[in-house]
Amino acid sequence: MIEALRKKAEELLRSNTVNVIYGYGEGSTPERTRPVFITKPEDVSKLTWNKYCVYNLTTYLKRRESRKLGKPAIVVKGCDAKTIVVLIKESQIKREDVYILGVTCNGVGEPMATKCKACDVHTPRIYDELIGEKIENKEIPFEERYAELEQYEKLSEKEKWDFWQKQFAKCIKCYACSSICPLCFCDRCIVDKNQPQWIDPSAHPRGNLSWNVTRAYHLAGRCINCEECQRVCPADIPLNLLNKKLAKETEKNFKYRAGYNIDDELAMATYKEDDNQDFFK
Amino acid sequence: MSEKTKFEPRIVAFLCNWCTYAGADLAGTGRKQYQANVRVIKLPCTGGIDPLFLIKAFERGADGILVSGCHPGDCHYNSGNYHARRRWNVFRPLLEFCGINPERIQFSWISAAEGGKWVETINGVVNAVRALGPFEGYKKINAIGPDAPSESFVTN
Amino acid sequence: MRTWRLCGELFLFQLVLVRYSIVEKILKKEKFNSLITGLKDQGYKTIAPKKDNNLIMLDEVQSADEIHLDHVQTNNSIKEFFLPKTEKILSYRMEKNKVSIEEPEGFAVKTVIFGSRPCDAASLPVMDKVFNWDCTDKFWIQRREASAIVTIACDKCDNYCFCTSVGLAPDSKEGSDVLLTRISDDEYLAETVTEKGEKLVESLGTVFTPADNPGTETLNRQVATVEKKFEIEKVKPWLDENFVHKVWAEFSTKCIGCGACTFVCPTCHCFDIVDECTMSKGDRVKNWDGCQFKMFTLHTSGHNPRSTQDQRWRQRIMHKFKYYVEKFDSILCVGCGRCSRVCPADMNISEMLEIIATENSQTGDKE
Ligand code: SF4
Ligand code: SF4
Ligand code: SF4
Ligand code: SF4
Ligand code: SF4
Repeated sequence: MIEALRKKAEELLRSNTVNVIYGYGEGSTPERTRPVFITKPEDVSKLTWNKYCVYNLTTYLKRRESRKLGKPAIVVKGCDAKTIVVLIKESQIKREDVYILGVTCNGVGEPMATKCKACDVHTPRIYDELIGEKIENKEIPFEERYAELEQYEKLSEKEKWDFWQKQFAKCIKCYACSSICPLCFCDRCIVDKNQPQWIDPSAHPRGNLSWNVTRAYHLAGRCINCEECQRVCPADIPLNLLNKKLAKETEKNFKYRAGYNIDDELAMATYKEDDNQDFFK
Repeated sequence: MSEKTKFEPRIVAFLCNWCTYAGADLAGTGRKQYQANVRVIKLPCTGGIDPLFLIKAFERGADGILVSGCHPGDCHYNSGNYHARRRWNVFRPLLEFCGINPERIQFSWISAAEGGKWVETINGVVNAVRALGPFEGYKKINAIGPDAPSESFVTN
Repeated sequence: MRTWRLCGELFLFQLVLVRYSIVEKILKKEKFNSLITGLKDQGYKTIAPKKDNNLIMLDEVQSADEIHLDHVQTNNSIKEFFLPKTEKILSYRMEKNKVSIEEPEGFAVKTVIFGSRPCDAASLPVMDKVFNWDCTDKFWIQRREASAIVTIACDKCDNYCFCTSVGLAPDSKEGSDVLLTRISDDEYLAETVTEKGEKLVESLGTVFTPADNPGTETLNRQVATVEKKFEIEKVKPWLDENFVHKVWAEFSTKCIGCGACTFVCPTCHCFDIVDECTMSKGDRVKNWDGCQFKMFTLHTSGHNPRSTQDQRWRQRIMHKFKYYVEKFDSILCVGCGRCSRVCPADMNISEMLEIIATENSQTGDKE
């Protein structure tokens, strides 16, 4: 598979189809990989693929430093590929701006990432070239996909509050969660605006609640569940539970899953006249 | 008598200019009585109510919040309230998931002609929040900041 | 250029030697509990490494059972006990043309930090310099005075550690008041480094037992071997010459500018001051900030002198290995490796320094 990947990458660079490959390379330790940016055909041997390829490289689509390198081909797993769908729908990129090097994937991380246990995109749903044996994408029922939420949803109001307060208290306001997120692409985040100051920049419980709720909410109906925010959080806050909760409500209420079908209307940019309103008086 | 009966909740109501605000006005001109715990914030449309407004209201000491606008189909800007409804459909469960009682954030459609419904709704919200008591959780996390009692300095 | 620094260090070290002679004692693991209780009885708050789900955090402990020992490094650094992530520096209130200000008190709590690593301890004297510089930071200084540092020498390390490359060691004493070194499964050799440390040890009475055999140098000190990765002498001369160099961008394209590296770093000390206020009253709050954020240098005009990530990454390296050295005679890095462990993009600072040190041995290849 690595050979096929390198071969395709080399071909793309030689033919000038793209200027740069965003891929995975060897990392600081054998249990780590790191993003690499290959611009010369002779460097394709730096590309690798293994179960430590956790990063969602599409985040480099929003970064000026990597965009400067020209048109990219990006190595994406099935989950990462969903980002590209959302970015296209949100008019951030055009389909022809990226060459998608889809890789089939059986799961990443050690221990395996939560997302992989209920993965229904082992083979990306969108790609220009598929690397690796096609894996059949099995449908996974709604309940199973959101199973990890259950134990938190059934807590009492006070237990929920205490649990999240304890989690949010750990936040150091580094904003790694939003820096890494490929879909947090605002040039200036609401948290950086201070006229007025909507979200307290301080890492105290009030500022942390406001920040974490807002970050999650701004990804409602958009988050594609790559789990990158949770992976990078130095404070080990289970951010993914918040993202998942929102994804679950979006799917339950609007039958929408971010990044699945390029023809679906963005959940938060549209509405239906008969949307749920049973909580309205 | 007890602390609880003395507690007067602070309710912040975010209202759209065209329907609910006019409805509340009608209740006023009709000299209808309702509980005085509510502070009204008028906005052009429910579609313009950012969920952060709600968070901010809690930060500044609200015990309960009402969001109210035109009935579906009646939006002055055609679809603002439909978009708002989508947002609240996901935001409300998010707050609930974080341990905020959904009774503290209520939603209604009240038209310019429904002065009576306004009175009923406001009384309902005030009573519900009064029964819940002050929002102690949020009061506690306001420890640093403008509304904090000065002795509540947090060192770490 | 390294020489003057070394001279300075030797000089300081000699001062310590002349003024102070080390006392050696033994601390048995089974005495940890009486140690914590003893500290509590004397009114100390005790901070020690503690397991919190997937993290090992320096945090307040109530009993010895909570202390975690079997790790390379804690996820958080020692700095937050002197420079908290958020702290109120004053409150104000405006009433009828009158402004009243209230300054916080009681922030310097008597504290013992137990079981932090030598690199963490070594960061404190380095940071003392900046907090005693053009403005003396009472928050830092008073907390420093109220705290004692009981370090445990590292008996293991990982790939990210590089203390030995920045002039430290897994058992260096810089910044510690007491240094503990493991000598068997359940015993530590305790060496007092300062008078403060000696007093602390004395005050705990029988918790520490005399090292009865006079030749403690024969003890089996269990100290990790940390491989030296680069020659620090070669770093600054290269930095002096290569403000503009293609390596900055090459190395940092993967950096996402999240700033996590600066927040976990024991020697990064940038902060931001904000007012959290209503019309008539408010708090002035000091929060951690970091040079890796693009907002960090944004001017009101909209101009940003460090507009791309390579410039921000260069700033981090320059500040630590050039500017701080020029200003304060110290490297602003203790080789703890936290920044590299935490980095979401696997930017590895020692790798960068290795590149620099190697570049310096070759002829410069600019742009
Ligand atoms: S979620 Fe699926 S595609 Fe994504 S890493 Fe896991 S197994 Fe691979
Ligand atoms: S990454 Fe974690 S610690 Fe950093 S701002 Fe996000 S939630 Fe807070
Ligand atoms: S919110 Fe987190 S999981 Fe969702 S897309 Fe962003 S980084 Fe990925
Ligand atoms: S932690 Fe890594 S990605 Fe984040 S700012 Fe630091 S070097 Fe860049
Ligand atoms: S720069 Fe990195 S290695 Fe050096 S002190 Fe800071 S966190 Fe530790």
